[in-house]
Amino acid sequence: MSKRLRLVLLVVVLVLLVPARADAYVGPGAGFALAGSFMAFFAAIASAFSTIITWPFRLAFRAVFGWRALARSRFKRIVILGLDGMDHGLTETMLAEGTLPNLAKLREQGSFSPLGTTVPPLSPVAWSTFQTGVNPGKHNIFDFLTPDLNRYHAKLSSVEIRPPRRSIRLGPYRIPLGKAQVRLLRKSKPFWGILGRYGIFSCIQRVPITFPPEKLRGVLLSAMCVPDLRGTQGMFSYYTTRPKAPGETIGGEVHHVARAGDQVQANLVGPQNPLQPEGGELLLPFEVAITSPAGAILKIGGAKYDLQKDIYTDWIHVEFRAAPGVKVHGICKFLLLDCEPEFGLYVTPINLDPERAAMPVAYPSVYATYLAKRQGPFATLGLAEDTWALNERVISDDQFLRQCLDMDAEREAMFFDALEKVPRGLVACVFDGTDRLQHTFWRDIDPGHPARPADDVIAGRRVIHDLYRRMDDLVGRTMAKCRRKDELLLVLSDHGFGPFRHGVDLNRWLEENGYLTLIEGRGDEEHLAGVDWSRTRAFAIGLAGIYINIRDKYSRGVVEPGAKVDRLREEIADRLTGLVDPGAGASAVKRVYIAAKFYKGPYKDDAPDLIVGYQRGYRVSWETAIGRTTDRVFHANSKAWRGDHCVDPSLVPGILFSSQPVRNPNPRLIDVAPTVLSLFGVPVPDYMDGKPWTVGGAAPAPKAPAPARELAEVAT
Amino acid sequence: MNAVFSWIAACLSAGADALGRPLLAPLGVLPGWLSATLVAAATGVILLIAFKYTSNQRSIKRVRDDLDANLLALKLFKDSTAVTLRSQGRLFVGGFRLMLLALVPMLVMALPVTLLLGQLALWYQSRPLRVGEQAVLTLALGGDAKAPWPHVRLRPSNAVQVELGPVRVRSKRELCWTLKPRAAGLHRLTFDVDGRPVDKQLAVGDGLMRVSALRPGWDWEEILLNPAEAPFRPGAAVRSIAVAFPTRSSWTSGTDSWLIYWFVVSMAAALVFRRALGVKV
Repeated sequence: MSKRLRLVLLVVVLVLLVPARADAYVGPGAGFALAGSFMAFFAAIASAFSTIITWPFRLAFRAVFGWRALARSRFKRIVILGLDGMDHGLTETMLAEGTLPNLAKLREQGSFSPLGTTVPPLSPVAWSTFQTGVNPGKHNIFDFLTPDLNRYHAKLSSVEIRPPRRSIRLGPYRIPLGKAQVRLLRKSKPFWGILGRYGIFSCIQRVPITFPPEKLRGVLLSAMCVPDLRGTQGMFSYYTTRPKAPGETIGGEVHHVARAGDQVQANLVGPQNPLQPEGGELLLPFEVAITSPAGAILKIGGAKYDLQKDIYTDWIHVEFRAAPGVKVHGICKFLLLDCEPEFGLYVTPINLDPERAAMPVAYPSVYATYLAKRQGPFATLGLAEDTWALNERVISDDQFLRQCLDMDAEREAMFFDALEKVPRGLVACVFDGTDRLQHTFWRDIDPGHPARPADDVIAGRRVIHDLYRRMDDLVGRTMAKCRRKDELLLVLSDHGFGPFRHGVDLNRWLEENGYLTLIEGRGDEEHLAGVDWSRTRAFAIGLAGIYINIRDKYSRGVVEPGAKVDRLREEIADRLTGLVDPGAGASAVKRVYIAAKFYKGPYKDDAPDLIVGYQRGYRVSWETAIGRTTDRVFHANSKAWRGDHCVDPSLVPGILFSSQPVRNPNPRLIDVAPTVLSLFGVPVPDYMDGKPWTVGGAAPAPKAPAPARELAEVAT
Repeated sequence: MNAVFSWIAACLSAGADALGRPLLAPLGVLPGWLSATLVAAATGVILLIAFKYTSNQRSIKRVRDDLDANLLALKLFKDSTAVTLRSQGRLFVGGFRLMLLALVPMLVMALPVTLLLGQLALWYQSRPLRVGEQAVLTLALGGDAKAPWPHVRLRPSNAVQVELGPVRVRSKRELCWTLKPRAAGLHRLTFDVDGRPVDKQLAVGDGLMRVSALRPGWDWEEILLNPAEAPFRPGAAVRSIAVAFPTRSSWTSGTDSWLIYWFVVSMAAALVFRRALGVKV
């Protein structure tokens, strides 16, 4: 018996032996605690009572509205474990080596096959197709970024955030009337929305392109494109006493700070003051007292935290004061990089605090609170793993890896909680650490990379293999929770992976071939600012492909819509296909897809006109992605980010493991939505492009016409 | 056991009184509602701070979060009866754990709070007698029913007039007098008990005064709650002396209601300062 327990028992016995009147009120602290415990008892009893009383009514309600679907369903629960970017080829190799025992067991129990991805094989596109069962022409997501039709600037393709339309002035403050408008640009309808109509409960966790969260019967936690507190997709901060070297540029937010003795004082930069937009960003002062060469004490927001070199703090709650009584809440982690000779401190992007999020990150919003209460604070940022800081070499490989592992642990906690909480219905959770780690550690398994510096890879390091084994272990533990015969487990990925050795500057290629004209000396400006639009017929921005500068579509469009556009598309596609990299003597482009021919649906005109399917090892260049033009077409990729999947979709299939055999020869990601609907006994709407698989023995139900309301939703 | 506890209680009461007498003296010059509010708010905050440092804040936060999570689970996953029942079970367990976590700070604070309440009761529980207002004084004798009665006499005083008594209540071994004060002030009544002097305080006046309604016997609970006068030792001829002071009529600082008011205000103050002080309750 522990010392503490013995002490408590002794105290209890003493209290019982010396009974006295309860005259002595024991103070508000203990009073609250006692009151809280009685409240808990009361809540439990009241809830149990209500459960018993309402049980027959709920039973009747479900019999009428909900159980009809479950009665027809093949499975009572379907669990989809998404492992973003898990590569089919590598998985197959490791299965053959016997290093993925749980996945091997799942293959034996059910099936394993490549999973056809989307064109282009990008996560936002692929996961949008996964959830809607339609091609991008119907869900409107073609890339991470899309050009603004007026200014040609790149903007997020999946979400639009606008400040409240109206506000009133009150002294120095501008009080917004209403909330910021957060609009999801993904169209069509996720299949869990359809399941909900048939009374089937869904728990959706971190599936990309679910921000802002949509209403459903169940719970949902958003993922990709959830911004940080500053409204960006992840702005880290780096504080250093090292003076800026001439010509040095580091992304993120770098603060050159001064050290006074053992003290460093700085400000954590928060969002724009929502009540004083012209007042700039909100600041939260903090102080670091260096106590040893590898330790310091951080004082922020009235609290103290120990900092140890190379060890992340837990999530720290930070509050930015916008006005008296108005605070904006966030969470971030601090990492002490160095104390000597120069001080260095890294701060993760400030995530929205799940308990007090400035924007909705879950449906219902208390679901995020529930998870935070259950497991503690967690990352809410869409792309939570800070690949940017690694690319900029602000944090090391190990520090980045630690970050990914921590976030995976958070994800696991919520996933296993979902498995416990949802015994019937759909559970879908996406782990995207697999994608981030492959992007950044593919260099370990690509010794032939042309830009590989000698010190870039530690001999014997096998981060990706360890990652796959870790995911195998996760699958093993998931299988242990899905043992019932009426449960189906699908483990899938949205695309595979490959090396990223060379970037292709499409704008340079377009310029060399007479399709794009730059203003003299302004080629290196971002967001296509240096382009002479009056003499430009085609341009590239984002990761997917090329846009034709069509008149009446773009503010400074020059190509007449119709036959001329069609001819230009064909011409560029022909010339670009088979483009040869003279340095490597190899083809860089496998195929160019003409969106107008390839996509079907009301949004196909919003797609890039040409989707470039690169050969293995090639991808669009970093510069093209942000709308810059360089002096050559081919660039060796020297960033830590040396794995990618922005290639021809045929080269990067995803994976599909199923606990029951999938009998279709070529399953595709687009088929998942209709398959799940079919397995739950829900009619598959005929607008869906995917086809239900035969899982186990039974053939899928035929498609049914979608209700008019649903069709209207798809079309708008 | 009672003797040991009473001895400890007597020492603690004497200490508390030595502190409380000067510290709470300003209560005599403030309006009752104001002094009651100030004292309750201040003690609420002090006790909250004490709770912070005597409780396991980390565990309390964890249990609290767990309770909140289970409450939310009842709402979010109400489709599943099994999940609902599990959450209800966890609420029970959480409630019990929270109670256990409150036990240690509760025990630590029980004594200081009792001493404090004893001091505050002197000010608010009874009203002093007014000049000319009658009150009954009861002197309880020690010893058992068969023990001989000592000779007891109340010494004459200019401050009080004896209206009636002494009246002997043989079954209870008590002597009673009806007194009528003649002058305001904190008086000392002296009894001769078999030739030995025995004192009792008597508060007479109009405003807020420390009123000691009972000079206690050798009983630890009585000693703690009546700290103004030294207790009678075991074996003494007198067991206790009580004066039936009139009740004070006020929502904030009246008889009995002062305790409720103190409870409410101290809780409210703690609630207000809870976040600023970073206390998990």
